[in-house]
Amino acid sequence: MRKRWTPALAVALPVVLAACGGSAPPGATGSDEGGGTGDTIVIGSLHPLSGAAAADGQQMDNGAQLAVDAINEAGGIESLGGAQLELASADTQGAPEVGQSEAQRLIQEGAVALVGTYQSAVSQNVAATAERNQVPFVIDVSSADEILQQGYTYTFRLQPSAEVLGQRGAEYLAQVSEAAGAPAQTVAVLHEQGPFGTAITESFRAQAEQLGMTVGEVITYDAANVSDFTTQITTVQESGADVLMVAGYYRDGVLVANAVQTVGPELDAVYGVANGAFDTPQFPGEVGAAGEGVFDANYRLDITNPETQELAELYEQTHGDQMRTAAVLSHEAVRVVADALERAGDTDPAALRDAIAETQLESLMAQSGPIAFTETGENENATPILMQVLDGNVRQVYPEEYAETPPVYPAPPGL
Amino acid sequence: MTRPTTAHGAPAEDGGAVTAADPATDTPVAATGGRAWWRGAVGRTALVLLLAVLAVALAYWRSGSGVVVSQAVVTGILIGGVYGLVAMGLTLIFGVLDIVNFAHGAFLAVALYVTVEMTGRFGVHPYLALLVAVPVMFLLGAAVQRGILSFSIGQPLENQLLITLGLALLIDNLLLLVFGPNPRSVALPGDSGVEILGAVATVSRLLAFGVALVLAALLYLLLQRTRLGTAIRAVAANDTGAQLVGIDTRRIYMLTFAIGTACAGAAGVLVSPLVTIEPTTGELFNIIAFVVVVLGGMGNVVGALVGGLLIGLTEQLGALYLPGQSPLLAVFVVFVLVLFLRPQGLFGSKA
Repeated sequence: MRKRWTPALAVALPVVLAACGGSAPPGATGSDEGGGTGDTIVIGSLHPLSGAAAADGQQMDNGAQLAVDAINEAGGIESLGGAQLELASADTQGAPEVGQSEAQRLIQEGAVALVGTYQSAVSQNVAATAERNQVPFVIDVSSADEILQQGYTYTFRLQPSAEVLGQRGAEYLAQVSEAAGAPAQTVAVLHEQGPFGTAITESFRAQAEQLGMTVGEVITYDAANVSDFTTQITTVQESGADVLMVAGYYRDGVLVANAVQTVGPELDAVYGVANGAFDTPQFPGEVGAAGEGVFDANYRLDITNPETQELAELYEQTHGDQMRTAAVLSHEAVRVVADALERAGDTDPAALRDAIAETQLESLMAQSGPIAFTETGENENATPILMQVLDGNVRQVYPEEYAETPPVYPAPPGL
Repeated sequence: MTRPTTAHGAPAEDGGAVTAADPATDTPVAATGGRAWWRGAVGRTALVLLLAVLAVALAYWRSGSGVVVSQAVVTGILIGGVYGLVAMGLTLIFGVLDIVNFAHGAFLAVALYVTVEMTGRFGVHPYLALLVAVPVMFLLGAAVQRGILSFSIGQPLENQLLITLGLALLIDNLLLLVFGPNPRSVALPGDSGVEILGAVATVSRLLAFGVALVLAALLYLLLQRTRLGTAIRAVAANDTGAQLVGIDTRRIYMLTFAIGTACAGAAGVLVSPLVTIEPTTGELFNIIAFVVVVLGGMGNVVGALVGGLLIGLTEQLGALYLPGQSPLLAVFVVFVLVLFLRPQGLFGSKA
């Protein structure tokens, strides 16, 4: 009797590992009827509505829905006789294979374009599916550089790539620390070991070294399993670095901030690059004093823009929650598709693709110009800005044109 | 755990205290092989100490900093206590009911949300949530066993396994539905860093570790010194035999599952200040808890605690030896080694 668990466990471990990803039957959500003909035009929205990234995924789906509602209220697509938009939402569960099959389903049900998906691995699969079916795909969030290095012609990306994020992150650090008279010299890096953390770290390191900083200790970790960072932070403390750069997700970001407070290393700054925790509205509340002074260089909704403020208010009224940046990107992705439909005057995917490629659209994000796509499909004006947690709030601090308040540097932990 | 077999990596210091997983074979061996047993125990203790010294020396050589190594050891022990705490309820269910309970992490998540609600709504101290979470989880466990799992007794093991897996998905998604996807947190009042041997640890981790020890002791006493515990061990050893001597096995199954789930409830309250609370948080502990259970020997609560400590230390020191690898890599290397040398687990008895 005691031996029976061995085969059972052998069966069960792969099952449970798989269950972390895909489990619910596909097609639980979505549109009833095919679109693209008649008076409604269907746009497919692919986001992780359940699973570990559900908080962002649901925000993004809400953001896309708000864009659809706003466009419909304003009279729909005028060049198509006031055709109404309809959002067909699908749950990728954060799993690449589910994302792929859901993308295929939405296309078969008549979606003229897809927006999504948050996880780079999922976006990669959806991009391949979109290309095969020749349906435009506008990526709201997904940083991996490779997605747009496959020569795809139907895929476009709104958020800045990992390369841009890392480069600008290093530049802002150099500029802010120099302006404060305490130039950053030795930077220790703590990054999650997946493609996201690695790509950000590589471009950050290259740019930082070019700007005369030394990148010393580089520590990687597994974001899925890590439960404590005190050992890693002690290693950073012993290495004598004056800045700690962190690239990771929400849960691990919280653990890092707590460990920094516990260990208390002598740092000038804890500096996130595209960090999934440090610039979220939830972060200061969760970690309290440990979050004070923490920087993050990341793409960001531009809260100094009155239109963005309006959207944030609407979001809070509709969903009773603070809007995250990811929701704005999904909102923009739908607007890009709607704007292209308007200019193309046609729901034919090929015509739509050409129209998207010529987009010139004002953005609600902090970026250096309107949304416009390069040859490869990157948003050429996308850029990160620098944020800092000050008095329990995430504030835009640099570059000056987006700054709500000047940065505080040095910002040693436990400020 | 009854014979002084060949040397292996088992921490043998408290071997004497935990031999009694199978009372029937305990007495004769203790009577006949007392001296040989002691020699074996001393030998194993020496071996374990040697291995520990080697591990620390290697860590020092790799990192070149005493502070880092002592921090890794302190963190490893404290994390290990948490792993042991989570695994204790699971090992009981695993050992007695022979159920691979994948819903254990989900039960823990329920307790996390009970704590969030208690502290958020009523502003009570997080640890007071124990008074609610433990009884609630006990009842939930009893209901799940009696209402769902009892029907699959005697059927292929895969049935129970899939039921618990389905239950885990159900609970995860119910939590998502009710509490939404936003991360929550619980703050322990007066939680700050404390210095131990040049390393630092937070009060919440020390307390979780302390309670893990207390809980292990309580469970051990329950199993060894009470009639209920004797009945549970009897059912674990041979359920038909237990039935023949008049033990109501259905009741024992239900109570054991309920006690195991109540342990998940206690663990949930204690880890609540240490983690970000999301509907999927429980999954984090599932894999590690299974490793700990098998490593420590199924059904053995002290084994779960020692297994937890071993895994915690392996994870932290392993990260120093092999920087840039998943901590699970070192954990599974140790896991495979232990199973190779001692397939029944560190404290498991041979079936």
